[in-house]
Amino acid sequence: MTDALLRLDGITKRFVGVAALQDVSFELHRGEVHAVCGENGAGKSTLMKVITGQLQPDAGCMVYQGRQARFGSPREAQAAGIAMIHQELNLVPHLSVAENLYLAREPRRGWFVDRVALRANAARCLARLGVGIDPSTRVGTLSVAERQMVEIAKALSIDAAVVIMDEPTSSLTTAETARLFEVIRDLKRDGVGVIYISHRLDEMAQIVDRITVLRDGRHVGTHALAATTIDDVVVRMVGRALDDKFPPRTSAPTTDVVMAVDGLTRKGAFADVGFELRRGEILGFAGLLGAGRTEVARAIFGADPVDAGSVRLAGGPLRIRSPRDAIRHGIAYLSEDRKAHGVAVDMTVAHNVTMANLAAVASRLGFLQFAEEDAVARRYVDTLAIRTPSTRQRVRLLSGGNQQKVVIAKWLFRDSRVLLFDEPTRGIDVGAKYAIYQLLDQLAARGIGVVLISSELPEILGMTDRVAVFHAGRIAAVLDTRRTSQEEIMHHASGRPALQRVLGHAPGHAS
Amino acid sequence: MTDRMSDLFQRFAALASLLGLTIVFSLVSNSFFTVGNAMTVALQVTSIAYLGIGATCVIITGGIDLSVGAILALAGVVAALAVKAGVPVPLGMLGGLAVGVLCGVVNGLCVTRLKLPPFIATLGMMLVARGLALQLTDAKAVGGLGDSFAELGNGALLRVERIAPDGFPDIVFPGIPYPVLVMVVLAVAAAILLNRTTVGRHIYAVGSNAEAARLSGVNVRGVTLFAYVVSGGLAGLTGCVLMSRLVTAQPSEGLMYELDAIAAAVIGGTSLSGGVGTISGTVIGAFVIGILRNGLNMGGVSAFIQQILIGVVILVTVWIDQLRHRR
Repeated sequence: MTDALLRLDGITKRFVGVAALQDVSFELHRGEVHAVCGENGAGKSTLMKVITGQLQPDAGCMVYQGRQARFGSPREAQAAGIAMIHQELNLVPHLSVAENLYLAREPRRGWFVDRVALRANAARCLARLGVGIDPSTRVGTLSVAERQMVEIAKALSIDAAVVIMDEPTSSLTTAETARLFEVIRDLKRDGVGVIYISHRLDEMAQIVDRITVLRDGRHVGTHALAATTIDDVVVRMVGRALDDKFPPRTSAPTTDVVMAVDGLTRKGAFADVGFELRRGEILGFAGLLGAGRTEVARAIFGADPVDAGSVRLAGGPLRIRSPRDAIRHGIAYLSEDRKAHGVAVDMTVAHNVTMANLAAVASRLGFLQFAEEDAVARRYVDTLAIRTPSTRQRVRLLSGGNQQKVVIAKWLFRDSRVLLFDEPTRGIDVGAKYAIYQLLDQLAARGIGVVLISSELPEILGMTDRVAVFHAGRIAAVLDTRRTSQEEIMHHASGRPALQRVLGHAPGHAS
Repeated sequence: MTDRMSDLFQRFAALASLLGLTIVFSLVSNSFFTVGNAMTVALQVTSIAYLGIGATCVIITGGIDLSVGAILALAGVVAALAVKAGVPVPLGMLGGLAVGVLCGVVNGLCVTRLKLPPFIATLGMMLVARGLALQLTDAKAVGGLGDSFAELGNGALLRVERIAPDGFPDIVFPGIPYPVLVMVVLAVAAAILLNRTTVGRHIYAVGSNAEAARLSGVNVRGVTLFAYVVSGGLAGLTGCVLMSRLVTAQPSEGLMYELDAIAAAVIGGTSLSGGVGTISGTVIGAFVIGILRNGLNMGGVSAFIQQILIGVVILVTVWIDQLRHRR
């Protein structure tokens, strides 16, 4: 356990004057799972990019398998046995799973691709992960979780000596996560070094040997898991103590119903969904991936069509045929897929913040008032503590957590009566999560009805008043949060005996 | 480098190449840097600039419009035929403009409702409009349109003439040709539309991330349709102005103009992947193409060599743009 597989010494990387990494050292042993923790923007991604050759360090050196190493490109690093599983999936949607797994290194017979070998190898890779995906399926038809598993299979298929996993479980269910952890244990047994990046600290404790904490581009410390606690890690990450993961709730639900949904149905996705949302209430949507939570939220918002059912807002029936209708009636939807559906990455912070309510910063004739727009953007940058040099910064250049805050700012600026938040804290660091929780509470306290869709049960239990548990496209139960438990929610979410369904095709994937 | 600086750099780079071209041609040819030639260049550029402004709007939404050259011909022919049939000139020209708008509407509906790829939708329109123009005229030029038809294309504002003692008119000041005037007004209006109005902002939003825009309540279909209508309408206007300048309506006029328009936008920094582009850039791009053609003409460079050079200029400017965006 003492021979260093990979050692980094005094790595420094600057971007136009800003030091993203400052004198960072890091060591990975054979057969070790080494976690790298830090808030968004702490330098985790930059460090990984240095290791995989995507970026060249300004100073410092890297020793890999006993030899000085410097990779000019990710391809070189991969050839040397360093594989990276990206948080943002890098798969070609029009190709099959097998073709994706062996992209650019297809098994060949003469000049032609050996399709038989391709399929067989791919099937073996997937079987190792225990995933029930047919290798000939087109990647475009898979769910996010399934794509994540394919991405992991791809990294494993190159027989890497070092595997880097960036938030591998962020879209996996509990069962899939457990399966992934088994695979990681197998890798350890084979002497592979695993670098594991995750915001889910509790979950990480099951698998990790050592933890390195980065803060503001600096190395804060490396500790064996046995010699530290998750709370200590959090304190080191944020540089201050966090009393609690969830803020105390100051809001209390009223008895007025702000939105009533009845018999909402879309064939193949969800059926007969009905619930009431009260003013000032935070209603959780719990359930497994593909249980229909996102689909129902999108349908209420008018983003997808419905076959039957009604939505009543403050007593009056609504006809919502597009997001425009929904927004006009005061319904907002924060998508789970931030990059594809949330922000326009090439537009500025200010432009994104005002996108859903442009009329509010325009004169009656439709001319934009730049000063007003900038003031609005600045106000939200301040209240949400968005880390950006200016409101004119392109959103592309912000970290994931800050991009998410920009999307939230967009919906805050558009005063709404009902907010549908779909996984608002996915891939966001602890400090930013806390700020978002506080915000949810404040919004509820203002009398807004909030729906919180989350796959993290602690978040559901910590933040909501009631929980609607989805199973296979239907609401299996609506529970009072204070009188329920993780076990009870899981019980309803899994539809009792059929835990096997988790990896199978739950309805609702059809896109 | 901040985004602001990089934007400035881009404008400056396009402008610098424009100035560079002007200086080189002025040194090579005595007659290049004259008021008369400046007017010629400005007039020649007008068509590319009108179409380029439309192309910029469409390309920012992430689309493309290949039909403008053909729409221009159809609009000009319709205007001329109407005038020939006794319709007053302004009404006839309005008819031409309406034809352009109508073609734009059809393009926009094909893209937004039938969900055809913009390339295909406008390729179809290109063939339909060109075919119609040829069919309506039997592929013959429409001539004998009279002086009032020529006014828009050949007239000028503030033109000062004096009858010299020998009885011939003596031009004191050539004035600002109407087509150039229209170009300036259009460019300013389009720049204001894109930068300062909600519609303009929505055009950028649609091109930057259409789904995010839709989920933010932007009327994506409406905005996209609007861009194609602007492009079609401007093509109609170009047709009227161009045919008026020639005082004949040629059904085969405007061949490949769509490519000049797209090239002007692209040289000016508009990104074919959508979300990025400015009117000022496009106007500069139009002038780069116009001056290159004019200067090479005066230098006696053959039309074939000109084509080669303009092709190379497009490749190089876009390559530089790509370099700048690569981070």
